[in-house]
Amino acid sequence: MTVPPLRTRKLTIIAQDPSVKINGKILRTQVEIPAEELQSGPWGYRVHTVDFDSSTSTLYQPLKYPSLKDGVDGDPFKGARDAKLLSDPTFHAQNTYAIVMRILARFEFALGRRVSWHFDSHQIKVAPHAFADANAFYSERDQALLFGYFPGRKGMVYCCLSHDIVAHETTHALLDGLRERYTDPSSPEQAAFHEGFADIVALLSVFSLPGIVETLIDISAPRRDRSRIDKKLLTIKELRKSMLLGLAEEMGQELPAIRGNVLRRSVELVPSRDYIKRTEFEEPHRRGEILVAAVINAFLSVWVKRLEALGQVAPGALDRGRVVEEGASVADYLLTMVIRALDYAPPVNLEFCDFLSAILTSDREINPNDSKYQFRDTLRKSFISYGIKPRSPGTPSDPGIWLGPEGAISNDRIHFESLQRDPDEVFRFIWDNRGAFKFFENAYSRVLSVRPCLRIGPDGFALRETVAEYMQILEMQAGELKKQKNLGITVPDDMPDDQEIRITGGGTLIFDEYGKLKFHIENRLDDGDRQSQRLEYLWGYGYYRNPASFRNFASLHRQRATSLTSFSREDW
Amino acid sequence: MATSKPKSLTIRSYQVGFGDCFLLTFHYPGTNKDRHVLVDFGSTGQPKGVPKDLMLKVAEDIKKQCNGKLHAVVATHRHKDHISGFATNKKGTASGDVIASCKPDVVLQPWTEHPKARVDATQAPNGMTTNKAFVAALGNMHAISAAILTEAQRRKSLSKTLKREITFLGDDNLSNASAVENLMQMGKKNFYLNFGSKSGLERVLPGVKTTVLGPPTLKQSSEIKIQRSKDEDEFWMFQALANQFVLKPEARIFRRAKTYATSPAYTRWFLKRMSSIRGEQLLGIVRALDKVMNNTSLILLFEVNGKKLLFPGDAQIENWSYALSKPEIRRLLSRVNVYKVGHHGSRNATPKTLWNGFKNRSKKKTDKTRLKSFMSTMTGKHGKSQSSTEVPRKTLVTALETESELFTTQTIKGKGNISLVCEFKL
Repeated sequence: MTVPPLRTRKLTIIAQDPSVKINGKILRTQVEIPAEELQSGPWGYRVHTVDFDSSTSTLYQPLKYPSLKDGVDGDPFKGARDAKLLSDPTFHAQNTYAIVMRILARFEFALGRRVSWHFDSHQIKVAPHAFADANAFYSERDQALLFGYFPGRKGMVYCCLSHDIVAHETTHALLDGLRERYTDPSSPEQAAFHEGFADIVALLSVFSLPGIVETLIDISAPRRDRSRIDKKLLTIKELRKSMLLGLAEEMGQELPAIRGNVLRRSVELVPSRDYIKRTEFEEPHRRGEILVAAVINAFLSVWVKRLEALGQVAPGALDRGRVVEEGASVADYLLTMVIRALDYAPPVNLEFCDFLSAILTSDREINPNDSKYQFRDTLRKSFISYGIKPRSPGTPSDPGIWLGPEGAISNDRIHFESLQRDPDEVFRFIWDNRGAFKFFENAYSRVLSVRPCLRIGPDGFALRETVAEYMQILEMQAGELKKQKNLGITVPDDMPDDQEIRITGGGTLIFDEYGKLKFHIENRLDDGDRQSQRLEYLWGYGYYRNPASFRNFASLHRQRATSLTSFSREDW
Repeated sequence: MATSKPKSLTIRSYQVGFGDCFLLTFHYPGTNKDRHVLVDFGSTGQPKGVPKDLMLKVAEDIKKQCNGKLHAVVATHRHKDHISGFATNKKGTASGDVIASCKPDVVLQPWTEHPKARVDATQAPNGMTTNKAFVAALGNMHAISAAILTEAQRRKSLSKTLKREITFLGDDNLSNASAVENLMQMGKKNFYLNFGSKSGLERVLPGVKTTVLGPPTLKQSSEIKIQRSKDEDEFWMFQALANQFVLKPEARIFRRAKTYATSPAYTRWFLKRMSSIRGEQLLGIVRALDKVMNNTSLILLFEVNGKKLLFPGDAQIENWSYALSKPEIRRLLSRVNVYKVGHHGSRNATPKTLWNGFKNRSKKKTDKTRLKSFMSTMTGKHGKSQSSTEVPRKTLVTALETESELFTTQTIKGKGNISLVCEFKL
């Protein structure tokens, strides 16, 4: 008789960061991540931790993990003292590994398939103590996540011990793997999306840990009664003002130096439709805050709505445990929603309005009945209150969702089996339907990815879908572009005629379980208005002078910390 | 004392290599009634063939030209290439001693230099007024530069180009205690200015209206932008501590932890990559702090008989934004006749809004009202053309050459020749 191998394992991590404490002790938790036999590092099938400090050229030796066979627990830091967690670099390595794996698993759960890194390796390298710097970033070129450290007021501050920082950087890497063109220079919103989305995943990942929500509640409602909480403290206004801001102050008191206090800034950004139009919010990191604020606002609204449905345990009081549970589960559901939406987002030139339609559509596919907690309606209203309207008009019953494809789409010469995994087969589908898709004829097209995925549908049955992305590229000089009247793209006045320009477009194709095209979500190459705006932005902000620097997370994060900009319309 | 308006002006652009040094002589009617204003005196790299004691020679020439009396000294900001010439020595024979002996009536500096704004740079900004926290951050930037310079020198793996660029920027951002001290003491009166404040030149330069257009105070900046957060100042404090920490002997964070004496083969590709990332990080940090320092520059607009002369130091768009947000200031600037090119002609210190607003730009060389521009610079010292960061920036120089009459210190040639002199009527 053999014991079936465990599918998951638990590892101890610091719940948020060492400054969030409960009864004077660092708040920690055990997270459940995919089980695997680890090599020293931890070095697993997707993550390779290499603890090298480039500032002092020190390579720390890793911990050897016991085999999981025969029911071994495999968490060497379970119950370890706080001092041990802080002073042992091998715990730092475990903390980073476990959070990266948790976020990866979260993405794979939401999307129903493996998620690859963008670079040519199966394992991302993680350096928990990469340099003495107030910075942390994902570097595609180096296939790595790099976390800095710096002396703080009360001792050394380690970015790798901060849940939201590790989750943020991991999300950059995963997003880059899923949508490789989102780091391309495009509109200010595409650049902002990478930052904003990474912040949203980081915050929701933290909120989905019940221990954190409990602490959040303790901050604003001290425990007079262990089991109850006053209902008056559970309004949107109160939760925003006292709980979230309270947590923002508590969270990594010296970590805001890394990139500002994300939570505080998003909570302080009260709903207004004006931000999106202000020049100040053309900066990618500022613009990203609008997206974060819209999601956090929706999180609070749904949480409060769910609490309204809870029965009172005493006049004006709710059960503290249930309040915590509801908060964590709302965060968890929203996290799944925003990740799943990536499959329904266009592969190039993403704007916030596209992302909103993507969330609404992808959630409706899995959960058609949203009447109970109204996640979709709340998110839509919250986005609109920040000036972000859905890209698609939707239907009267489901405003904002993507609509099905128009025209006579042909599958006549397509092999269904190949269509689920073969880029050449998908390309043939695109090529055969170029007339129906009304493509601009002289553009170069290529398929970026084909991903079969499996989700559980509303009826409990497995839902097989295939998600494919393609992009189109047109390269010509500014002078030639001016003559292409059918594209309707306006070239900036002061752009020289011999300036080489690349215009891109593309779409996401979602095929149903029979290979029929269900959605065609596109940002068209010949969308004259949007292409003109992008060209104007890129020209104004100096992309054509120094294209390489537009893809650098290290400098983007530093700019965020210092509020400096590298690119300005005013430069020569 | 001169009571009427000046009739003409001489601008002497001194050869200081990569730096600024301009002597403005306002000629009033009558004899011996000239008034002299020295705008900046610093250098961070000199061209081949100039005398070794160039700065002293420049100081002596300034003393000679002003007959031993300066009426005002302007130090736009604390970068080495703008103030190193003010440094003194114990013997009292340095260039800064010569300038001090000209006993300026007033010394003008930005508000960030006010002695009361200064704090112990290592002190945490928590609980301080925002202005003090910002000035503390500036102090931290000097500390970071010093630490990064040392680290860059120690690192063998750094490429030559990277090391050169880090050294150039790091050096320019070192604190210059002697020059700072001298600027505090040499004048009868010191003025620390911000946008809209009185210049302090009212009595010194009769008939000349001087408007201070920058830097804005933090409060003023917050009118056009969401208020500066304390996180930004903290970033510089922690960054300074981090850069200094690395230089300590036994800087390892986990002293008791086991380390590898020789790295295992499977880690080497990554370790090599990480060493190069460290170099890039150091450059990124000095670039960022250089920008903050530039943006503390004083921006002065002199007006005489309707003629306007603009001296913006090294101000970049973040500094300019406040002034340019005001329509009346944009109108005022549109009539500028003389423009001292910002930051040695770099790509980001002549905002396009400012340049495009100059109505006296003209391609006609015979145009009597054609804009005059003055640039003090040195090619090949800073930036790279591949990344469009070369100083002076090619596209800007083309615009300056075609749309204005350009006077650049790079044309100063010949033995013993250390300045470019331009006199014109006001």
